[in-house]
Amino acid sequence: MANLKEIKRKISSVKGTQKTTRAMKLVSSAKLKRTEEVAKRSKVYAAKLTELLNEIARKMQQNNENGIDNVFFKENQNPKKVDVVYVTADKGLCGGFNFQTIKRTNKVLSEFKEAGTEVRLSGIGKKGIAYYKYNKIEMINEIDDLSSAPNYERAKEFISELVEDYISGKTDKIVLIHNGYVNMITQEINQQQLLPVDTSALELDAVSLSEMDIEPDDDDTLLDALVKKYVEYTMYYALLNSLAAEHSARMQAMDAATNNAKEMVGKLTVKYNKARQEAITTELIEIISGMESMK
Amino acid sequence: MKLMKLEIVTPNGVIFDDEIKQVTLPGSEGEFGVLADHATLVSLLDTGVIVIETSDSKEISVAVDSGYVKVEEEKTLCVVDGAVALSGDDSDLAEKIAEAKELLDKAQTSSTAIIAAKSKVDSISKNF
Repeated sequence: MANLKEIKRKISSVKGTQKTTRAMKLVSSAKLKRTEEVAKRSKVYAAKLTELLNEIARKMQQNNENGIDNVFFKENQNPKKVDVVYVTADKGLCGGFNFQTIKRTNKVLSEFKEAGTEVRLSGIGKKGIAYYKYNKIEMINEIDDLSSAPNYERAKEFISELVEDYISGKTDKIVLIHNGYVNMITQEINQQQLLPVDTSALELDAVSLSEMDIEPDDDDTLLDALVKKYVEYTMYYALLNSLAAEHSARMQAMDAATNNAKEMVGKLTVKYNKARQEAITTELIEIISGMESMK
Repeated sequence: MKLMKLEIVTPNGVIFDDEIKQVTLPGSEGEFGVLADHATLVSLLDTGVIVIETSDSKEISVAVDSGYVKVEEEKTLCVVDGAVALSGDDSDLAEKIAEAKELLDKAQTSSTAIIAAKSKVDSISKNF
């Protein structure tokens, strides 16, 4: 009989878990919708900003045979010091979401280390910070409450420090790693080079832009402002994208958990019924044998 | 009159995307007007007011804090940080104007640009 009680207790506990996971799934899907909306609107801006930057860079490349003579575009072939920035979530319970980012970051870190490059790590998101603290890997900058509530001002503040170091020549490269949203069921790790701006993707044979006027006259003023904006916005967009991906990952994880709980309840119910049947049979046998012996 | 396309994009989405006759932009080197077939140009935008003349000759003003503009012959693209549209037939114009002023106040440019932009916004409210 004790066994029966135990199983019953287990069933109700699993049912409780199921309720929680189902609620979490609902919350995530609601949040995902909101974040997706924000991300979608920002995407237009990010796309236009990139387009503008590309066009100016292209124009400068046309005018200058040795490539673009600007600190933001000069690719250092032997980078001595590199900034790696990762973005993880603040919360767990979202499947492999955080670990994927950490894994990729580790890979990048070891790649740079093998190449003999000094790496500075900085990150946003409680989970990543907890991981690197535990593994005693030093971070120069950490923010633990930004990835659940992306904010342009704070993203700007965070990345500006790194950009300053880049400009002053303390670092040669900034790499950003974050998990991105593809659709409701897929997330994808994004790794991009923030600075220097990657010009390899520019199409040079497009329309000739030599006629383009630039105000203020001096190219650098405009370009500097534009590149800074581009970097800041890319950082902010990475946060939004990562948050959307987090919610979709959590939705999936919680859906799977709810299904598992359902399966478990089914299995436990069968076990419970079997045990009950067994108990009844044993009791019957006892009674019958008792009656037999009375005869 | 020949029309051209104008697009104004902010981090919160596209706020204007239509065919227009003319647009006046607060460039960092001074205000300038753009008609269709304008030479290709890229400029920084200062804090100020973009004045749009729509295809049916209505006037729409958009207060912006800072950004960039890319002018092509057929198309003008403004990428701005913050913008508040002020059009005459809005019933909540007063509210929009307050919002626009707040936006301008927060802009990190020279105070003269802000004051000039604010007085422009004020003159809009008087016109309607």
